[in-house]
Formats: sequence, C-alpha cells, structure tokens
Amino acid sequence: DIFIESLLNFDSEYIWNKGSSRWSQCRKRGADGVVRGSQKEAELTNNTDRKGNRPHRPNSFTTPESEGPVSRIRDWGDEVEFDEMRTNVRRDMQRYRRRILAGEFTQRERKTSSDSKDSRDSPAPGEFETDESVLMRRQKQINYGKNTLAYDRYIKEVPKHLRQPGVHPRTPNKFKKYSRRSWDQQIKLWKVKLHAWDPPTEEGNDLQAIDLGEIMELDFDMEASVDELQYPKTSSSVSSSLPQVSCLNVKILESVDLWICILL
Amino acid sequence: MSVCAGVPLPKPCVLKRMEDSSKEDYKIHSFDMETQKLLKTALKDPGSVDLEKVSSVIVDQSLKDQMFSKEAGRICFTIVQAESKQNGGSVFRRNLLNRLQQEFKAREETRKRSTQEWVCLVSFICNIFDYLKVNNMPMMALVHPVYDCLFRLAQPDALKNEEEVDCLVLQLHRIGEQLEKMNLQRMDELFCLLRDGFLLQDGLSSLGRLLLLEILEFRAGSWTLSETAQKYYYSEVTD
Repeated sequence: DIFIESLLNFDSEYIWNKGSSRWSQCRKRGADGVVRGSQKEAELTNNTDRKGNRPHRPNSFTTPESEGPVSRIRDWGDEVEFDEMRTNVRRDMQRYRRRILAGEFTQRERKTSSDSKDSRDSPAPGEFETDESVLMRRQKQINYGKNTLAYDRYIKEVPKHLRQPGVHPRTPNKFKKYSRRSWDQQIKLWKVKLHAWDPPTEEGNDLQAIDLGEIMELDFDMEASVDELQYPKTSSSVSSSLPQVSCLNVKILESVDLWICILL
Repeated sequence: MSVCAGVPLPKPCVLKRMEDSSKEDYKIHSFDMETQKLLKTALKDPGSVDLEKVSSVIVDQSLKDQMFSKEAGRICFTIVQAESKQNGGSVFRRNLLNRLQQEFKAREETRKRSTQEWVCLVSFICNIFDYLKVNNMPMMALVHPVYDCLFRLAQPDALKNEEEVDCLVLQLHRIGEQLEKMNLQRMDELFCLLRDGFLLQDGLSSLGRLLLLEILEFRAGSWTLSETAQKYYYSEVTD
C-alpha cells in the first residue's frame, strides 16, 4: 500500500526533523519548545532528507488490535499532527478543485505563459497532483519553510498584493504536477530566497544563516533572471547563489564568497 | 440521590451535571492563585509561558479533581486555539496529548491504586475527546483509547462500583453519539457488555442497574430519551 509506505516515510523523516532546527537563529522553536540548532545537526538533517534514510529498526509492526501497520514511533501528539495535516491537505484539495472548475487558473496561466522563466507554471490543463502521500510530503516541506522567522517577517513586510513574481519568493504549488526532483529543487530555491528576510544576526556567526549544503545542491541549469536577486536589504541579506548573477552582496563566510566568485 | 417515600428510586444526577457548564467559566478555582494566574496568562498569551508546564499542571489537577476532570477540555481547547493563532504552534497540544498517553498506558495501575483517580482519568480523556477537535473533527488518535477505557468500565469488577458505572454512563451521554460515528462496531460490542451486565451481573446495586437501564434506553432511542423515559428517570416521584 503506497499510502502506508509514505506514512512510514513521513514518520522517519519527521522524527529526524522533529527536534532539530537548521538555522537556530532563524527557526522558531522546535516542537518541544526548545530552540535548537547546530550546523552538524543541520547537515545531518539535510542529508537524511535528501536520501530518505530511515533508522535501521523496522518502522512499523502490526498487532492484532491495530487496523494496519502501527508505527513504533507514533505518539498521540504525532498522530494528531499527522491527522491535522491530512485533513488540511484534503480541504486544500477541494478548494483547489473548485478554483480550477471556476476557471481561475486558466486566466493566470495565459498571462504568465509568455514569461519564459516561468516554465514550471504550465501544467497540462485539468491535471493536478492528487496522490495524498505526495501532497502530504510536499505540505510537510512547505510547513518547514513557513515555520521560520524569515517567513513570518516576509509575510508581514510584503502583503500579497504587493508581491512581484520573480522578485518575491512564492510558495511552490503542491498541486501542480512536478517530478520529485523538480519539486525538491523548487522548495530549496524558495527557502534560500526566504533567507533574505532572516532576522539580523547578533554575533558575527553567519555560519548558521545559511546552509552550504543547500546552495551546493542547486541545479545551475535553472533559468533565473537578474531581477530575482533584488531583495529588500536587511542587515544580513543573502542572495540566491544562481550563477548568472553579476553582483552579489553576500555577507557570509569568506570561503563562500570566494566560491561564488569562482563560479562567476 | 433522592429517595421518595415508598419508592426506593434514586434519581440519577446526570441531567444536573449536564447543565453545569457556563460560558466563560473554565472552572479553575480549585487551583492555587499562582497557578490560576499561569493559566489565565496561557489563555491570553500562550507564547509567553512554559506550555509544557501548563499542560502538566492541567493533567495533574484533572486526576485529582473530579469536577475539573469533567470540564478541563474547554480550557485546553482555548489554549490550543490561542497558541495556534498566536504563532501557529502546537506545543501545548502535543505536550498535553503525550502526557495523557502516558497516563492512559498506566491506567490499570491507577485503577488499582485509586478508583477516584481512574474515574477522573477517564472523564478527562473523554472531555478532551469532546472538546479538542481538529478541523472540526474529533481526534482519531483518541477513539480507540476512549473505547478501551469504556470497555474497562464495563467489566464485571467495575460494574460493581457505582462510581465506575456512573462515570461510564456520563461519558456515554456526552460523547456516545460521536464515538459511535467514529466506530460503530466497538459501540455495538460495548453495549453487548452492558446488556449482559444489566441482566446477569451479581453484586450490581439498584442504582447501578438503573444507570445501565437508562443508558441502554438512551442509545436505543438514538442517543436521546423519549419523553416518558425522561419522566421516569429524572422526575421526582411525589406521593
């Protein structure tokens, strides 16, 4: 059962991510209320995320009383969070369906199809992602991005009607059909863009302001215009490391500065 | 319990209990002043307090205080909403549920140690099930645990205690209908036990039998009592 399979994936990834915070200064408190974060932990989390590693112990077992595979790790807190996310996803899906039927998206697609850089925004009409396990996984990734101080600051600073496509980060649409790789890269790019709204760091320790692993994973084939890099400046603004850029104002480690210069 | 002349018919207090809940009253007067302050702050500004402590305080009190155990769901729900609205978090809910799960796992020991605590635990779990809705739906995760508790109360050794029977029927009055929707089969099984208990159980007090009969009729009438049954069970019989 693919759904159960993804349930298990969800579990193990969730557990890896549960207590950790990638950028402690930018991330809100973890689920247990503790603000955590070390670069090491972040890398570990990242690696696990990408490769989909799981703990070696079997993730589930079936008991006569249970109605199916029961996760070893599940506590009531987790179960309820999972259920909540699932009902949210289902509700989102109904809403999305209604909007499609109302013809909302066809209008927008016609407008942006001429924009060459937005190649990802034109799905086959009438088709969208309905696989619940995929939607749940994507929603979880979106939630991680939204559960940051950067995102909070971003939405407060830039109301929806003032957002310009290409300039302002846009949450990837979980209902559009994308390959796994394409989706994961969109998420990464989106999160990197959100860093422009990171709260100013107090110490000079910018190590935690950006995850090198994430930058290095970027697919440099992706199209990008220079416009994308004109972020509102904060004291620790970080721009995307897309290589076509000619002027970068990156205030991070010297080695990263050097690396980006080399790319150029 | 009112016994009227010539008729040893005790009046169940269920109806009276159900009228207890008032609107903004979270029934926290049994806490000491400092804790009351903590709770009030949690309701207004959840991000500023230690939510793990808050959930712990609430659970502890629920296990001691019968009245609170039946009403604590409301304050919990309000704190959950407040936290979600304030910062999108669910720290309080998570801590509350996991602590509740621990208590649930230890329920048999609790029952052996103190019937009162056990009954409080069941009331509390059911109250949480009633109030802590997620996207307007009851929490799936609690359905089986709640049933497990009710099944335990329907066992012969429990039916002998009026306290436990009373708890059982109270919960069924409050959440029976919702529970049945979530899992009809277990409700059917539970009621088989109740029928058997009513008919065959030795050592059941007359109050115990009355309570069981009432709940059997209640469910048979789709979770409501007919007017005549209502009169029978809840009216004072006067000479």
